[in-house]
Amino acid sequence: MSEICECLGCNVGINVPDFKLETFDPSKGDFGEISLDTLKQNKKWTVLFFYPADFTFV
Amino acid sequence: MITVSTDTKFVHLAWQREEKLLADVKYPMGSDPTGKVSRMFGVYDEGTGLALRGTFIISPEGKLLNAEVNYYNLGRNIDELLRKFKANLHLAKKPEEGCPAKWREEGDKTLKPSAKLVGRVYEALK
Repeated sequence: MSEICECLGCNVGINVPDFKLETFDPSKGDFGEISLDTLKQNKKWTVLFFYPADFTFV
Repeated sequence: MITVSTDTKFVHLAWQREEKLLADVKYPMGSDPTGKVSRMFGVYDEGTGLALRGTFIISPEGKLLNAEVNYYNLGRNIDELLRKFKANLHLAKKPEEGCPAKWREEGDKTLKPSAKLVGRVYEALK
């Protein structure tokens, strides 16, 4: 394989490009949106926790 | 902390309200129905349209510091995630140090890489 993997998982140490996600925020009981740029502006650490599907074990 | 799956935000709402184990959830539940963000982090399974169990820690400056991905059938150890998170906080304050494998929390021994440490890690950790 000569192709270079471009996914971030293989590139610890790089600066993550901005991304946006629609959310359901249980603390507000409402929908919202979150972006890495906003998190950076608010000086927040981010843990992104991916899982296959709701209604299953995580 | 943001959880992410390819479910819609509507399904997140329904799951959080239905599942008693999620009654105390305070973090936003992110929705990635197109798989765009999951693909960006290399956890999107094109065959199923689902995201694998990936965990990524990003600093306030936007730098990716940890990446861990498990296949569907293995859950994650939250103690290990907390250990990594605490280590990152410590190292952000003291970038000249390193947290060795057995570092668990603030106060545990750290290492300062130097010429003196070469071949003497055992003694430094005692």
